[in-house]
Amino acid sequence: MTWKTQSTASLDSTNILRGLTSLKRVPLGSPVYNAILETLFNEAAALDERRFDDWTAMLATDLIYTAPIRLTRTGPTRDRDVMRSMFHFDDDYNSILMRIGRLHKSAWAEDPPSRCRRFITNVRVAECGTEGEYEVVSYLFLERSRGDNPENERMSAERRDVWREVNGSFKLATREIIVDQSVLGMANFAVFL
Amino acid sequence: MLQKSSLTLSDGTKLDDLIIRESNEVSLRVMSDKELYDIEMERVFAKTWLLLAHDTEIPNSGDFVVRDMAEDNVIIARDREGNVNVSLNVCPHRGMRVCTAEAGNKPIHQCIYHGWAFKPDGDFIGAPVEREKMHGNDVDKKTLGLKKARVHVYGGLIFATWNIDGPSFDEFLGDSKYYFDQLFCRTDSGLELLGPPQRFIVPCNWKIPGEQSASDGFHTLTLHRSLMEGGIMGGTAESIYDQAPGMYGVDISCPQGHSLRCLEAAQTFKMFSDISFEGKSVEERLNMLPPPGITPELIPQLFKNLSADQVEQLATIPPQVGGIFPNILVLFIFAPRMDGGSSGALALHTYVPRGPDKVEFVNFIFAEKDVPEQVKRDMLQNSVQASGTSGTIEQDDADVWPQIMRNSRGAASKTMTLKYKALHGHERPEGWKGDGLLYPGFTKDDTQWNWWLAYHKLMSEA
Repeated sequence: MTWKTQSTASLDSTNILRGLTSLKRVPLGSPVYNAILETLFNEAAALDERRFDDWTAMLATDLIYTAPIRLTRTGPTRDRDVMRSMFHFDDDYNSILMRIGRLHKSAWAEDPPSRCRRFITNVRVAECGTEGEYEVVSYLFLERSRGDNPENERMSAERRDVWREVNGSFKLATREIIVDQSVLGMANFAVFL
Repeated sequence: MLQKSSLTLSDGTKLDDLIIRESNEVSLRVMSDKELYDIEMERVFAKTWLLLAHDTEIPNSGDFVVRDMAEDNVIIARDREGNVNVSLNVCPHRGMRVCTAEAGNKPIHQCIYHGWAFKPDGDFIGAPVEREKMHGNDVDKKTLGLKKARVHVYGGLIFATWNIDGPSFDEFLGDSKYYFDQLFCRTDSGLELLGPPQRFIVPCNWKIPGEQSASDGFHTLTLHRSLMEGGIMGGTAESIYDQAPGMYGVDISCPQGHSLRCLEAAQTFKMFSDISFEGKSVEERLNMLPPPGITPELIPQLFKNLSADQVEQLATIPPQVGGIFPNILVLFIFAPRMDGGSSGALALHTYVPRGPDKVEFVNFIFAEKDVPEQVKRDMLQNSVQASGTSGTIEQDDADVWPQIMRNSRGAASKTMTLKYKALHGHERPEGWKGDGLLYPGFTKDDTQWNWWLAYHKLMSEA
C-alpha cells in the first residue's frame, strides 16, 4: 500500500507564471513605454525619498500587492519555484495605507529610516486585455543601508505589475514581487519593493 | 541550595557566572559567545526535541521537505507505510547533501555525487555498478543508511531529536501539554500549513529571539506600540502605559522552559472590549467570540477533542502567545480585521541557529484544515501582515535583536547583565484548572527566567 492523503497545502497548486503574459508588446521608445518608464523612475524616487503620500497617490484603490516565496526545487518540478500559496507580502490598498500610517508613527524597524536605492531595469511593457491597462515587468535591485552598518542589505527581484492609465497618469493596480532568494538575507521587509 | 554547574569555559568563566541564579541575571556575553555556541550545538540542539515541519506538507508517500536541526540539515520524508522519517541529509559515502531540493516527491533519494541511493526512511539501497560493490567489500548495507533521528508527531507538528534514549515528547512538554493541546489538538482534522514557510536571516544569536519567545509580554507596550496607535489593541497612544492592554492575564510555564500567555480577548483588543461573558455558558461564550482560528462550525469539535476544563479556558482566557523551549515561538492570536473578515492569525516560528551571530527565522502559517477557503485566505493575510518578513509586529523585533548582539561584545558591555528580577512567583488563581507554574496578573519575568533555568540545566549535562 502506498500512503496517500488529501492536503490543500499541495506544493504544485502553484504555476510557473513569470514575465509578461500578453503578446501585444509596447515597443521600447514608444510614447506609452516612455511614460511608463518615467512613472517607474518617479515611483522609485518617491519610495527612496520616503515621500509616502506621493507614492500613495500612484496606487489604485483596488491594488493587489504580493510577494510570493521562492523554493529550491529539482527534477521535473525544478522551474515551479514561485510558491503562490505563501507570501512575504500579502496586501491590498487598505493594508498598504495601514503600513504607511504606521511608518508615520512608531515603526522602529524604519525609525531611524533605512537609506534605500531602488534600481529599476529590464523594463518590458505589453497591453492588457482591458483598455488603458498595461503589464509591466521590471527588475528591481535594492540597496538598503541601516544605521552604522557599512555593509548594505540588498535584494534582487522581478516585479510583475499592472499599471492603469487614469487621466493621463498611471496608477499601480497589481504588483507581484518575485524575490530571488529562498532564504532572504534581509531581516525584514519594512520597506516597499 | 542550587546545584553547581560543572561547565567552565576556556578562559575560566563558569556557566554559573553567566547564568547567575542567585540574583536572576544573565551575562550579556552569552548573546554572542562562540565557545558557548559550540557547546549549545551538542548539549541543547542535539539533546532536545526540535520542530521541523507539519504533517500536511508531506501528505503522500515519497513527499519530503528539507529543514535544519540547528546546523544539521535533515530530510523529513513520508515512506510507503505513511510513517514520517527524519534522516540526516549527509551521504555516508563522501559527505555530500543527498537531497539538494527544499521540497518535492521522490521514492528514492540518490546522491548526485557518486550515486548512492536511499529510501525515504533513510535505508541504504545501493551504490551504482552493484557488481563492483562500491559501498565496500563485506560491508553490511544495513549500516550504510542515513543517520536517523527520533521522530514524534504532535498535533500534526513534526518534531525530532538526536537524543534517541532521552525524555519522551510528553515528558518534554510536561505540564504545558494541557495548554498546547488547546491549540494543536482541538479539532477532528487538525491544523493545516498554508504553504511552505517564510525563511529569512536575522543577524543575531539564536538566544535573543529564544528568550523573548518565552512569553516576554512586557515588550509589547513599547516595541509594538504601533498596535495601540493603530487602534488594534485597547487604549490609545496617550494611554498605553495606563491601560496596559494585553498585559494582564495568566502566564503559564514549566521547568522544561515552555510557556504561554493566556489572555482574555476583552482585555486585549479594542473591538472586543464591550463583550461581556457574564452569566453566559461556555458554549454561548464560544459562539460570541470563538478562540483564534476557530469558526462557529468547529465549536462542537472542541468539546469532542478536549476536556470540559480545556474548552472552558479556550472560551474564556485562551492561550495566545508563548514558546516551546528552546527555539519555537507560538502566535495564536486574535487578529481583528477592519473588513469584518475572519479573525485570527495562527503562526509558529523556529529560530534556527546559523552560527553564533546568525539565526534563520522560519515562519510557519496555519489555519484549521476544516474551515472554508475564504477563512484560510483571510487568516493567511492576517498572519503575513502581522508576523514574519513584512509583519508589522515582527519587523520591529528583527530590528532590535541584532543591536542586542552587537552590544554583547564590548569589553565593558559584555559584563553587563540582563535582569530578570521582576518576579511574581507561582500562584494558583482561584478556580484555575490546569497544572504547571502559574503567574496571574501583570506579565512578569518568571516565564523567561524559567527558560534560562531550562537552558542552564541542559548546558550543565555533559
